Amino acid sequence: MDISALDAILKNVEKPGRYTGGEWNIIVKEKAKLNIALGFPDVYEIGMSHLGSRILYHTLNLREDIRCERAYAPWTDMEEALREAGLPLFSLETKTPLAEFDIVGFSLLYEMCYTNILSMLELAGIPLLCADRNDLHPLIFAGGPCACNSEPLAEIVDAVMIGDGEELFLDVADVCLKAREQGLNRMETLKALANVPGVYVPGFYEATYNQGSFVEVKKLEKSAPDQPVRRIVKDLDSAPYIGKPIVPNIQIVHDRVALELFRGCTRGCRFCQAGYIYRPVRERKLETLLAMAKELIASTGYDELSLFSLSSSDYSCIHELIAELLEKTKAQHISLSLPSLRIDSFLQEELERMQSVRKAGLTFAPEAGTQRLRDVINKGVTEEDLLRSVTGAFEAGWTSVKLYFMIGLPTETDEDILGIAQLCKKVSRAFYSLPKEKRGKGLRLSVSASSFVPKPFTPFQWVAQDSVQELRRKQMLLSQALKGARGVEFKYHESGLSRLEAVFSRGDRRLGAVLIEAYRRGCRFDSWSEYFKPAAWEEAFEACGLTMDEYIYRERSVDEPLPWDHIDMLVDKNYLVAERENALKEIVTPDCRLGCNGCFGEKHADDCQLF
Amino acid sequence: MRMIANYSKSGALRFTSHLDMQRLMQRALRRAGMPVAYSMGFNPHPQLSFASALALGYTSDAEWVDIKLNEHVEPETFVARMNAALPDGATILSASVAEGRSPALTALIERASYRVDMDFERPVDQQKIIKQIEDMLAGEIIVNKKTKGGWKDVDIRPQVLLMRLIGLEGQKATFEIEGVLDAYGSLQMELLLQAFTQRLGETAAWRVHRTSVHFRQLGV
Repeated sequence: MDISALDAILKNVEKPGRYTGGEWNIIVKEKAKLNIALGFPDVYEIGMSHLGSRILYHTLNLREDIRCERAYAPWTDMEEALREAGLPLFSLETKTPLAEFDIVGFSLLYEMCYTNILSMLELAGIPLLCADRNDLHPLIFAGGPCACNSEPLAEIVDAVMIGDGEELFLDVADVCLKAREQGLNRMETLKALANVPGVYVPGFYEATYNQGSFVEVKKLEKSAPDQPVRRIVKDLDSAPYIGKPIVPNIQIVHDRVALELFRGCTRGCRFCQAGYIYRPVRERKLETLLAMAKELIASTGYDELSLFSLSSSDYSCIHELIAELLEKTKAQHISLSLPSLRIDSFLQEELERMQSVRKAGLTFAPEAGTQRLRDVINKGVTEEDLLRSVTGAFEAGWTSVKLYFMIGLPTETDEDILGIAQLCKKVSRAFYSLPKEKRGKGLRLSVSASSFVPKPFTPFQWVAQDSVQELRRKQMLLSQALKGARGVEFKYHESGLSRLEAVFSRGDRRLGAVLIEAYRRGCRFDSWSEYFKPAAWEEAFEACGLTMDEYIYRERSVDEPLPWDHIDMLVDKNYLVAERENALKEIVTPDCRLGCNGCFGEKHADDCQLF
Repeated sequence: MRMIANYSKSGALRFTSHLDMQRLMQRALRRAGMPVAYSMGFNPHPQLSFASALALGYTSDAEWVDIKLNEHVEPETFVARMNAALPDGATILSASVAEGRSPALTALIERASYRVDMDFERPVDQQKIIKQIEDMLAGEIIVNKKTKGGWKDVDIRPQVLLMRLIGLEGQKATFEIEGVLDAYGSLQMELLLQAFTQRLGETAAWRVHRTSVHFRQLGV
């Protein structure tokens, strides 16, 4: 790679620090047997904020025979500059072109990053389709939450890693090393990989359709498993974490130390894919976390520590943890933040203690505006819980609170929408009814309403999404109803994007062609509203003889085959069916820490060690 | 105590903005275990201040930072520990203890010297370059500059203290330029170099390196 040519480019692009590497704690190896590039299909500031990639970077680089480097999607100006200069996409560590790696793995954090995978592959000079790659090309992997339904990428990625990557990626590396020793070709290597638990090679299965409807996925390669099964790390406490994490030279989105308390969530919110696909809950021990926190702060110099998990206040020793961390971090001027706070399980005492350090905003996610709808989605939170918690926070001096809601949830009526406004007004009143000397100056209550997107492997995987018109109407209704509420700032999301997200989250293999068509029409960075091109997407669907509507607006019946049925995510499909029934009957399913609800069925019951 | 440190910025770090450099320095101080003093008040922040900002893409041997420490640290210890905690591209070149009451660096800074390496698209005659510098410095240098009130034509000549050619080999020229660098209006190097190459009728790419800054009183 010509460094001076790169230099000339960097002078003229926005935020060149995205492409330079050279950060504190970067791992640069001269040579290793196996070269792996972790490709993140979004910009550096977002990719570097992703904990999973950081865990993999550290875990893979612990091995002397593996060299793991990073690459992020170049922003559109950099893409243009690279193309103009005829330079390939390169890794940050050694500026090695991506095509020279043995494995290029992409993290699939959200569906709207898929076109960036195509731009990264093309910039790297790697053919977009598996069928066009040969023994000289790297193996293209994908992993991360969207890997649970990677069907839209079936013709683009060679193999998918499903589930936790800490052990899985090392197994993949070992198979690749052995395959090379044995002189296996690409196809033979993929066959060997397909037998690693957690690996899914889409090319070994075929999807069939009848008159435009999905029929089934058939296995083509005998040696491949009937159902690839999600991999989990059973003992998270002894699993490697992020080591001495890289400290970026430019500001990133989550510019702080993230301490992962546990993986999985026991709440069982029915809309939440993460709540289902990361089961079971696995905690790290208190001592482990305290030691990790100390080391992470010392090795990075960060002055902010965030407790990371799907529901941090559910951590068994959360009170001890916060108390100890506060004790240790106070003298060092380190602030503590809890990004995913549940509103029903924390103590005002802790809030007051947190006040002694810098105040971060508080976030609560009631998700729905009425108790009825919260029961439907199994968000076991009451209005009293919320009001008690925010009042406590206000009394402790907090003035900035965020409330997250969703609109377009199954069974939702206008009453539920208006309920959101009522709840927000009550929160506002809770602030202003405190005596002036007991509260901060002005309230900043940001209310955010995202549009519900049905996701695979949740009890709502069968439901239809609200139409864009209906979502917009509900947004307006809520916006009107919130008028005059003191201190409230209302934000909602672009519904066109939620629609596309809904298509791809429950997509099938036919969408691969749509992706490529959309990419050819200039689609990139679709999750960035300034780059989202709805018209180009419409054209792409039309060019492929498909419509978005058939993916979005159709309620599926529970006995209909689904394009992702052949993936075993550990949670039993019958359990999802039962949960769907419970939702419609407004029956709440209790937190499984209180007793097993049997979500893994008989087949995988042993994979959960909660009881 | 106050520690005044001179550091260099090069390599990948030249693409790190001033704001990001401030954060980077704070983190390095923490990693080095320096007893940095914090401000009082609602949101305590570490007390360090920088002499001036450096444009994105420029390298420098003359960056200065003033850090307030709660305990005495020997300058040699400071330099050694900080250099072990800074990423590639940032190096503390020297450090000294400042008198408690001396003014902030931003109030003392006056001017800066730069070395500019310029790559012309074709060889350019030495006399032509020298003549152009002379002509340019003899009158006003009007450039279109973005200000708070929008784009304006301004004369940047008063901010140019010195410009001379110090090397020429084929298409590569090296200049020494000195410009005003203070709180009231500093030389914007890019504007000067654009105006210069335009007047010369040549296209060129350049690299700018800040070689030194001049403070009142401190005499460095």
